[in-house]
Amino acid sequence: MSERPKRVQAAAACMAVLAVAGVLRTMHAQPAEPTPASVAAPAVARPSQPARDVSHGKAVYDAHCVECHGTSGRGDGPASPHLFPAPPDLTAGRYRIRTTETGSLPTDDDILQTVRQGLYGTAMPAWRRILSEGDVQDVVGYLKTLSPRFATETPAVVQPTRQIASAPDSIARGRQTYERLQCGKCHGTDGRGAGSVAQDFQDDWQRPLRATNLTEPWTFHGGATARDVYFRFRTGMSGTPMPSFADAASDTELWDLANYVVSLGRKPVWSMTATEAADFYGGLDRAAEANPVERGAHLVESVGCPLCHSPVDANGLVLPGMRMAGGLLIRIEPFGDYPTGNLTSDKETGLGNWSDDDILRVVTRGILRDGTRMLPYPMDWPSYSTMTPEDLKAIVAYLRTVPPVSNRVPKPTRKFLPLYLWGKFTFLILGGDPPMVFFPGNAGVAGAR
Amino acid sequence: MSPTLKTVLKWAALTVVLVVVAAFLAFLYFIPPFFLTPPEQFGKDMAEAAPGVADVADPAVRAIAERGRYIVMTTGCIGCHATNGAKGPDLTKYLAGGGLMMRSARGTFVSRNLTPDRETGLGRRSDDEVMRVLRSGVFPDGHVVPHTAMPWANFSNWTEEERYAVVVYLRHLKPIRHGTPEHAPGNAVTIPGAFEEGYGAKDYATK
Repeated sequence: MSERPKRVQAAAACMAVLAVAGVLRTMHAQPAEPTPASVAAPAVARPSQPARDVSHGKAVYDAHCVECHGTSGRGDGPASPHLFPAPPDLTAGRYRIRTTETGSLPTDDDILQTVRQGLYGTAMPAWRRILSEGDVQDVVGYLKTLSPRFATETPAVVQPTRQIASAPDSIARGRQTYERLQCGKCHGTDGRGAGSVAQDFQDDWQRPLRATNLTEPWTFHGGATARDVYFRFRTGMSGTPMPSFADAASDTELWDLANYVVSLGRKPVWSMTATEAADFYGGLDRAAEANPVERGAHLVESVGCPLCHSPVDANGLVLPGMRMAGGLLIRIEPFGDYPTGNLTSDKETGLGNWSDDDILRVVTRGILRDGTRMLPYPMDWPSYSTMTPEDLKAIVAYLRTVPPVSNRVPKPTRKFLPLYLWGKFTFLILGGDPPMVFFPGNAGVAGAR
Repeated sequence: MSPTLKTVLKWAALTVVLVVVAAFLAFLYFIPPFFLTPPEQFGKDMAEAAPGVADVADPAVRAIAERGRYIVMTTGCIGCHATNGAKGPDLTKYLAGGGLMMRSARGTFVSRNLTPDRETGLGRRSDDEVMRVLRSGVFPDGHVVPHTAMPWANFSNWTEEERYAVVVYLRHLKPIRHGTPEHAPGNAVTIPGAFEEGYGAKDYATK
């Protein structure tokens, strides 16, 4: 069990959360939630200083967090290669959502808020709906042990100036600040995220990141009130290219800017009338047609092609550098072995030398270039065949841009003929239930030429 | 009966048996592997089984549900969430689940009933709960499903509006009472790191 450092307590007091924490503390101590922490921390603990059971926090972490954040907290869990944005390296102590100066650690309440309400627009859910407050407190206690910085550094809490209420003149001033600070370079002059700087941003750990579309406030990771947005400008978002503008603009300007950015928010589709929805979807279709590579990337990543087309180790982690390079062995009893293909643009072993029609024949009919027919499962070409021609073209356009990785994957092989016939007999005639097995490891030859 | 006739009959019978066996083996060899249906037709049927949305009264909701239908259909939810009848997937029970069992080091998972049935399907869940599974793989009871069993990590890349459309469409399906077993923890495979799927024409439902 670790006591909350005094300095952090002071920071929390600065944030005027004593009352809230007190309420939570009371709830936490109720016998209805007999977590180890509530047992270990009797009512004598002061309201703002909950004792945290780090070992219980680790148990909560191992049960709920490792799929994305990884057992070590480095943001390398099995699901992480498919997440955009990817989870951060928690051992670095760089938290996006803070109320502290740039480069500083977050306060406990910053981390608590992130765990409680999640990060909008990402896979991080609002854990307050799943975990008890005691679990949340304990897991935050554990998270702080992952980075040595928490033992030596003190969060430098930002003291926000008085909020400026949103009004036309404030928004107009904010717009000028938006131009002066060149926010549009990344977020686009219209705020839609299509800036003039290269679109492929990276986080501190070289994983892809996109500039937030400022017209979609429900995707603002830390919330979309003017106060939330003000803090993102004021503190920056550690681990990402979003800097602090504390030195570049006055606090008043930042409040105006926050009001301007909040004013950019458009109506979400769930609030639209039929006409608005028709316009909105028409706009999406035109944007997809104008940028097929981006549309294709969205389809490939959300349909989930990289899930099977990336070989994994026995812990389910994608082999380094092998994302989309194929080689995951799928044994479909009783038919044979079907290793997944190399989807990268490598000319020798990937799709580099395939024509568009070759690719579309596999995607929509399950027929490989040499005529080999695939089963309708697990490669779900029947479903992909229902995509519009535009979407199929977009997928091809995107696959052309996937950086080449050499991995020569063997062709599907049928089982030994008598076993094949016997297996088919038991499966199709007798109604057996043979397994389909997904093996760890790479069935291909990486680096082959 | 003369010995000559006997020999002829014997050979004739033998030939017939051989021809029948050979024909059966050839039949086994040539029939498509899935449920005696040609692959093209099998896939077409599965993909086109997604009910249309023309009967949604509110035109705004209809437009959203149509987008949801496209995502559900093209992503292939039916690939795992089908319900099997005697001859393969029963497409009249669209997305009623129970057609696939996955065994992994982290337990056994059976594909769930996605229809709006209030007792066995998503009628039990709020929109937020459904979207949390689609975005983060976290179920209302708190367990996190491996992203290899339910590809939520990939589905987290849908925009929030796409995810909403998927839920609107799922709410529109015909409710079917079809209870599937809960997640059973524990190591269920022998090969470390492997994933096994029971995918045959079997219904793993419990009620």
